[in-house]
Amino acid sequence: MFLSKTAGVLTIVALALGVVAAQDGAPGFRTFISDLTPPGIDNGLRNSEVPRPPRPYPTDLPSRNGVPYLRGSIAVKFRPGTAPAARRLMIDRVGASTMDAPSYADFNIVTIDDSADPEAAATTLAQQPDVEYAQARYIVHPMFVPNDPLYAQQWNFPAIDMEKAWDLNPGGTSSIIVAVLDSGVAYRDAVLRRNVPAWQGSNGVTVFNFPALGVVDIPFAAAPDIAGANRFVSPRDFIWNDNDPLDLDGHGTHVTGTIGELTNNSVGVAGMAFNVRIMPVKVIDSLWDDILGSPFQGTDDVVARGVRYAVDNGAKVLNMSIGRSGPPSPLLQEALIYATQHGAFVSIAAGNDFEQGNPTEWPAAYANSIQGVVAVAAMGRDRQRAYYSTTGPFVEITAPGGNQRSGGTSGGVLQQTFDFNFVETYAFGPARYGPPRFDVFAYQFFQGTSMAAPHVSGFAALLMQQGITTPAAVEAAMEQFATDLGPSGRDDQYGFGLINPRASLRGLGLAK
Amino acid sequence: MTRVAVATLALLLLVPCTSRAQISFRGFGDVGLTVFNATQSFKAILGKPSGPVFGGGVEFGERQFFLSLGAQRFRRTGHRVFVFENQVFPLDVSDTITVTPLELTGGYRFRSSGRFIPYAGIGGSWIKFEETSAHSTEADDVHETHAGYHLLGGVEVPLRRWLAAAVDAQWSSVPNAFGDSPTSVGGVYDEHDVGGFTLRAKIVVGR
Repeated sequence: MFLSKTAGVLTIVALALGVVAAQDGAPGFRTFISDLTPPGIDNGLRNSEVPRPPRPYPTDLPSRNGVPYLRGSIAVKFRPGTAPAARRLMIDRVGASTMDAPSYADFNIVTIDDSADPEAAATTLAQQPDVEYAQARYIVHPMFVPNDPLYAQQWNFPAIDMEKAWDLNPGGTSSIIVAVLDSGVAYRDAVLRRNVPAWQGSNGVTVFNFPALGVVDIPFAAAPDIAGANRFVSPRDFIWNDNDPLDLDGHGTHVTGTIGELTNNSVGVAGMAFNVRIMPVKVIDSLWDDILGSPFQGTDDVVARGVRYAVDNGAKVLNMSIGRSGPPSPLLQEALIYATQHGAFVSIAAGNDFEQGNPTEWPAAYANSIQGVVAVAAMGRDRQRAYYSTTGPFVEITAPGGNQRSGGTSGGVLQQTFDFNFVETYAFGPARYGPPRFDVFAYQFFQGTSMAAPHVSGFAALLMQQGITTPAAVEAAMEQFATDLGPSGRDDQYGFGLINPRASLRGLGLAK
Repeated sequence: MTRVAVATLALLLLVPCTSRAQISFRGFGDVGLTVFNATQSFKAILGKPSGPVFGGGVEFGERQFFLSLGAQRFRRTGHRVFVFENQVFPLDVSDTITVTPLELTGGYRFRSSGRFIPYAGIGGSWIKFEETSAHSTEADDVHETHAGYHLLGGVEVPLRRWLAAAVDAQWSSVPNAFGDSPTSVGGVYDEHDVGGFTLRAKIVVGR
């Protein structure tokens, strides 16, 4: 998922495989044998490594074949008051066998035949009179571009004048909860005992047969420069259907760092709103999740449930550095509306596919129709739109996301995440393949609108702390004080311009 | 404004011509309450559109005509805000507004057979308008002077030969004093006048 957004060399080709477990949503799917591990290891800045090869991907999923949805099921919402018998009659028309009502959802998941076309089934179902909407379960992915870690400088905060903004509001307080809907967060220590089966994958050039590793103990640790006392609240994992949203990827941990990396602690780097509490909500699966047999994937319905969960559990800001192209998603749209109606602001990555035809990205494209939801474009150190940053009428604001094409490695956004030498053990083929470790950390430069969105989430947290308490007003405060970039006024590249936290946090005086 | 200044100056010249032998010189102190014309803007920042003013000045003239020069000061601290769809969000940034008018007034005391002596006046004013806030830079703060005009009317009650009390009401206008910037409360509410209606009580000393 990290690799699909750049050049064709990263294209993943689908092959047969039999690793990923069936869609078993039963709780307790994983066994943690210990909550105690040695402290996380900080390997410092990664600024001189050669670029890592593309990740191989398991190949049995429709998404890995270029079809961006799950087979075997669709999501449907019936109009209120529709009788169970009528529902049964309607889903029979698409050959459905069962219908589940997942938690944190106002829609149902309908099981259809694996050979059926989910989009066609959804279209058929959507035409029934008592169906509000029906859609395939499109798979959402993180919104960042691969990077090569080579530098040790955070240019992104001076670029938005954060030092002066922190004078006005030094990092918020713990009263604000920011939910990170992502691949999870390295938020706690644990040891997972797990059987790792054999699997086959391809990087587009070579087919690899990775051997079974047997039962292994996989260590996890809280990211040293992110975790703190009472830092994390209400963790939830919708990929494993439990309350342990551990990051098996690194994306969510990096994003969390931009929002709330511990600051003024003489360690590592800074974050936007370093005193807020973080709610890790895992709605995206990674390659290791797939290898280890996670019961769910990051489909629209899973993300929508994550949104509702976060809001219901007190999050005031939701960061979604995730998205996908393809058709719209009514259930994601309704989840976003639900969030704003319940007082939560949502920051969404606008997308990284400008050079791949600049398709409309979801759920970002809903942003301009929902007050309190913002789609965030990325700029580089040169204050120009990053080459990958998706453009369109839904783009509303710009934040630093990095541009390593023009700015080199240090043109990315630096935060703490895993040392990928210990995570991507598959990267160099079966000969060096082994169990992963999620307790070894490094400071890495990433680029993408994934990196831009958490700047806006942290900014929103500060604005709420400052006294702007409604999502729509937070969005208005960001847009009103944004520094105009590109063509004068709002435009499709930068939206209203670059965020200006100091000006927004100062607000309005009588005269200026 | 220019006309008002000219009229005031004419009164100044008129006084010595009409009654050279009866020129009096008095001093006064006053306390009052001002309700600003920019009601919504001041209410947004300070929580209410009004506040106390304190001042004083000098006055000279003859039995009917007089000329006064006075200064007042209004100062209150509130919060910077954000306004969205008519909802005001007070921010955690203190904001202090200081308004200091220097007023030159020409007036006329009406003849009265009773204890109360009514009077009326018109004049020009120079307003020093200041706005400062927490964590601000020199460029953020406002220190400006604007010109305005005012009308007033009141009654005076002699208490002693050298002491009198007075109550007056004054309406003033200081147009285009603030609110040019769209990123200001004045800009949001399209209010630009730092004048207002002031009710004052005065103690006048002198003959």
